[in-house]
Amino acid sequence: MPQLLLLLLALPLATALLVALLGPGRTLAVRWVSLFSALASLLLATVISISFAIARTWEAPAVDITKGTLTFDSDWIKYKTRENLLPLHTTADGTVDSAIQFYVGIDGLNIWLILLTAVLMLTCVLVSWTAITQRVHEFHAWLFVLQLGMTGVFASFDVILFYVFFELTLVPLFFVIGIWGGPQRQYAARKFFIYTLAGSLLTLLGVIGLVLVLPQVEADHDPGQSHQLTFAIPELIARVGTLNRELFQEVKQLEQAPADMEANLQQARAQLNYWRHVQLWVFVAMMCGFAVKVPMVPLHTWLPLAHVEAPTAGSVLLAGILLKLGTYGFLRLSVPLAPDASLRFGVPVLGTLAVVGIIYGAFCSLGQDDIKKLVAYSSVSHLGLCMLGLFALNEVGLTGSLLQMINHGLSTGALFLLVGMLYERYHTRKMADYGGMGARLHLLAVFMVFITLSSIGLPGLNGFLGELLALAGMYDFAGSQVQGSLLAGLGASGVVLGAWYMLTMVRQVFCGPLKEPPHQGHEPITDLNGRELAALLPIAGLCLALGIFPKPFFDTVRPEIQVVARIAEAARKRAEKDAFGHELQTSTIHRFARNGLSLAAKGGERK
Amino acid sequence: MSDVRPYLWLIPALPLTAAAITGVFGPRLLRRHSHWPCILAGAGACVVAVLTCLAVYQDIAASEHSQPQQVRVYYEWIRVGDPGAGRGIEVGFGLNADALSAMMVLVVTFVGTLIAIYSVGYMHDDEGYARFFAEVSLFLFMMTTLVLADNFVLLYLGWEGVGLCSYLLIGFWFTKPAAAAAARKAFLVTRIGDMGLLLGILLLWSRFGHYLDYQHIFDNVQSAHKAGTLDYGLLTTACLLLLCGAVGKSAQFPLHVWLPDAMEGPTPVSALIHAATMVTAGVYLVARCTPLFALAPDAQVIVASLGALSALLTALIALTQNDLKRVLAYSTISQLGYMFLALGSGVRSGSEAFVTFAVLAALFHLFTHAFFKALLFLSAGSVMHAMGNVIDMRRFGGLRKVLPQTHWTFLCGGAALAGFPLLSGFWSKDEILDAAWTAGLHAEQYRGWYLVLWLVGLLTAGLTAFYTFRAYFMTFWGEERIPQEAFEHPHGHAAHGGTPRLESPPVMTVPLMVLAVFAVGVGLVLGPTHLFGHFVAHTPDLPEYEAEVPNYFMMVISSLVALAGIATAWWMYVRQPDLPARLAKSAQGLYQLSLNKFHIDELYEAFLLAPLAGFTTFIRIFDLYVLDSLVDLTGQLFRWLGLRFRPVQNGLVQFYALAMVLGLTVFLIALLLKL
Repeated sequence: MPQLLLLLLALPLATALLVALLGPGRTLAVRWVSLFSALASLLLATVISISFAIARTWEAPAVDITKGTLTFDSDWIKYKTRENLLPLHTTADGTVDSAIQFYVGIDGLNIWLILLTAVLMLTCVLVSWTAITQRVHEFHAWLFVLQLGMTGVFASFDVILFYVFFELTLVPLFFVIGIWGGPQRQYAARKFFIYTLAGSLLTLLGVIGLVLVLPQVEADHDPGQSHQLTFAIPELIARVGTLNRELFQEVKQLEQAPADMEANLQQARAQLNYWRHVQLWVFVAMMCGFAVKVPMVPLHTWLPLAHVEAPTAGSVLLAGILLKLGTYGFLRLSVPLAPDASLRFGVPVLGTLAVVGIIYGAFCSLGQDDIKKLVAYSSVSHLGLCMLGLFALNEVGLTGSLLQMINHGLSTGALFLLVGMLYERYHTRKMADYGGMGARLHLLAVFMVFITLSSIGLPGLNGFLGELLALAGMYDFAGSQVQGSLLAGLGASGVVLGAWYMLTMVRQVFCGPLKEPPHQGHEPITDLNGRELAALLPIAGLCLALGIFPKPFFDTVRPEIQVVARIAEAARKRAEKDAFGHELQTSTIHRFARNGLSLAAKGGERK
Repeated sequence: MSDVRPYLWLIPALPLTAAAITGVFGPRLLRRHSHWPCILAGAGACVVAVLTCLAVYQDIAASEHSQPQQVRVYYEWIRVGDPGAGRGIEVGFGLNADALSAMMVLVVTFVGTLIAIYSVGYMHDDEGYARFFAEVSLFLFMMTTLVLADNFVLLYLGWEGVGLCSYLLIGFWFTKPAAAAAARKAFLVTRIGDMGLLLGILLLWSRFGHYLDYQHIFDNVQSAHKAGTLDYGLLTTACLLLLCGAVGKSAQFPLHVWLPDAMEGPTPVSALIHAATMVTAGVYLVARCTPLFALAPDAQVIVASLGALSALLTALIALTQNDLKRVLAYSTISQLGYMFLALGSGVRSGSEAFVTFAVLAALFHLFTHAFFKALLFLSAGSVMHAMGNVIDMRRFGGLRKVLPQTHWTFLCGGAALAGFPLLSGFWSKDEILDAAWTAGLHAEQYRGWYLVLWLVGLLTAGLTAFYTFRAYFMTFWGEERIPQEAFEHPHGHAAHGGTPRLESPPVMTVPLMVLAVFAVGVGLVLGPTHLFGHFVAHTPDLPEYEAEVPNYFMMVISSLVALAGIATAWWMYVRQPDLPARLAKSAQGLYQLSLNKFHIDELYEAFLLAPLAGFTTFIRIFDLYVLDSLVDLTGQLFRWLGLRFRPVQNGLVQFYALAMVLGLTVFLIALLLKL
């Protein structure tokens, strides 16, 4: 039933239009329409994910993972829609064999992120109920455009479509922050927009570069066949994988061959080397956009600003979903499309930056007085852990990384919700203004402690599993590129630092003698109401459920995670056998620059 | 009798259910009856634990050899990767009922139930009555999971879970700033150790065959040892990392600073979590991992040294403390240090059996300590309850007439702790000293050092007897002094005429008496008869064990030391009550050092926390002004470039034409040169 996913994409768009048309006068209608649409989306997403999870967990193995395929097998993609948008090449008999496509579907990597999007959207509508009073219809319209963009990115299986949705998320968030944000909203919105746009333009460059260069290299290697442009991610990965394997095998075979084949060997090596440089540059270009989005230290400075200025709903979606676009991009595109570069360049550079991010983000959090800023910096730290697991490039680490994306979406999303609820009551976010709130707002305190525990990785809640798997994956990293145990050991300091800043916040705000900030005494301050509970309970429930019964999650993501792990494993085996690979050890800027020059030179020669 | 082990899951499940019920319905529905789920669940779990012990005992009686582990995996928790091929993670909710686990779970549920009953009286007018019992039930769930787990990850779940409950219960009166601070400190300090534990678990997983359950890891290490392929350096590292966790949880030097502060929590919590059960988790962990530690003598000597150092250091601090609960807290650290001393003495010395002997000594002390230390804390709580929450021993005295029952129970506990001959502490402490002494004589390495550690242990035994009876004499002897708060306290038993009745209600004193019986008798019943040793020694993975001949020499020496300590305390605090003050004056430096806990908190503050705070400020400023400015500067760069090029668009057609001609010329020249 591919319609379900299409419906999930069409629903936000329709709601956005409807809400915009309702106009400024009918705010209540706008809110109810939005609520129903969000509920319907959640229902759709739940149906999709449950049926998908059931198929993978309990029914006969729908996916033959023993097949050993090295790409996201298109048979595994459910709820698939694949239509040509822009045909580029037609064969003699009239079938299109190269096109930019509208290619969306559900697989193990995106299913939970899509569900998470729907869950957080519902909470966002609920939490904006009283917080947003100006231009309500516009706000909700942008919110639903944002949902369309986010769901679209996750569901896309075409690189151009992916990029379009990727950029589509920028526009609504720009307005959400810029119009409904705090005092510095315009500066924050502009910085957020330009910073991430600059990064993702490079990502586009990388993607297009790969798409264009791939058929050329294939043609050089195997002139007999016709090699068309491909934009579909599964095909791209398959072709990249084949090329990687064949180029490498050719070199290895020629190395065994008698000496008179020396010229052929040189040529094969030159081809392989050229292809590896292409991979490296593709990886670096994609990294620019994704690393800003994640954000990796030192490219994170837009994040605290955007978070602090954004309205609660904006912060929740920004932290919960939009940061995941970066890590998801690495998982979906960078690693499978440039496995050798991921291993040789990504692991040492991004692995180290991830550890730096964990520690740096934690210390930044520790130094904040503004609760929202504290939570914002904690994202830097948690996403560092996510990246650490991702660049362990083994199954354990990758699973941990994907789980950590979900966990962070839930726990940090909920933290922003709670901070927003506190702010709505007292209109201050300075921790020093608060004290002993536990005695005043019981339920809010209970939820805050609960989410804090999830965030600092208490076993039995979701955060622990992501942490454990990501660290275990990196500890078990098998290649010689980095000392995995060292990185994991340093990353584990996040366990202590995370608890430190979160518990300091809890102690300051919720413990000690009661100290209420002065509030404009319109209404008495009350504990959480039903609407707020409805926003928090699903998240808290998911935190607990994922923590004690994560089996459906692990079972659904396994096949695709195994594909990525196998691709990386193949790259690792190549690197081990590589006699001349050491010249590609690209851990310094110096080498980096040299490679760039030689790539340019190669490009020049080929003309 | 039928085997209860299929129903082992009841032990953690009952308290969990109680926690859920009390947590949800407690504040609204149960109110003053909130203690029932907790007590019933604790008692039920205790019954199952007793039956489990009996079942294990039957197995042991049936065959002289160690039993295979009785593991039942109830459901699959984590399964990632391909564990079968040795490249993934597989963790189930698996419970294990061998002798060690059965013994631990019996202690936890038995002491836990008694303390829950006692709390009914102690917490009777507290606002958070329901919350208290919900958290205690949750603690029982986590602690039983910890000791019953069959793998490291489930152990870690319990480990962190008890840490959480400790955090919640220390901070029970969270509006009190001291309680809030102590709660956070406890969680963070133990988390430092937990980080080590987590890394240790990961190391064992990653380097010894990608398993997480005890059985596979121990088997892999053993077979590698036999095949001669074991990387001993790696194993020692793993042991030391596990030790980090144990040191944090069991409050050993240098991570001991959280435990004395933890006394801010309600006294039953101090008795349950911070004396009898949770803090022994570290000892349990090291004992559980004996197959690993026995192969790493370098790690063992560190275990023993840390234990002895903690024992001595905190005994010295306890000498001068005036807060009754803090004396007991330092004494707990000291006694836990004893247990680590025994565990660390378990090095190969000719026979493998000695390892088991040392481990048993530690576990036997854990067992007896749970009773007498819980008893002491609860008695102290009873004193505190009667004195209107005053706990400073300088403010009351001569209470033996006022609180007759509490006086007797405290005396039983104190005498057991001091190692008074034939009481329970005597037997277990004696075994520990024997273990250290034997290690000193026969160990393959570090012999001389173990003798030094033995001497430290002996000295600490004397100090223990002294400070325990110092506290006893200061509280119950001398002239009768009762602080004013005792009479302001609206006590349930109102005064009938003359002096009010201050003794605690029966719901508190009966658990005290039960514990007193155990504190006095359990050592004599289980120690010299080798019942305990015989039982626990049948834990799988412990080397074969032969009951040793009692070391009468050691018994005489340790009795003499204990009696000397008690006599000195009697001399200084009953016969010559002005002597302590004079002594303190004449040795002012030493006295202050002990009174101020060797300034360890201040040292951490100055050399760890202050630099970290400075670093935090530096990072904050760096992030805000340096890193972000660089970003803004990049933006400014393009603006600046734009400004530089703006004059080019000046609107003069002639200028554009000129530029076009120039450009064309350059292009043509380039083309010509190429041709």
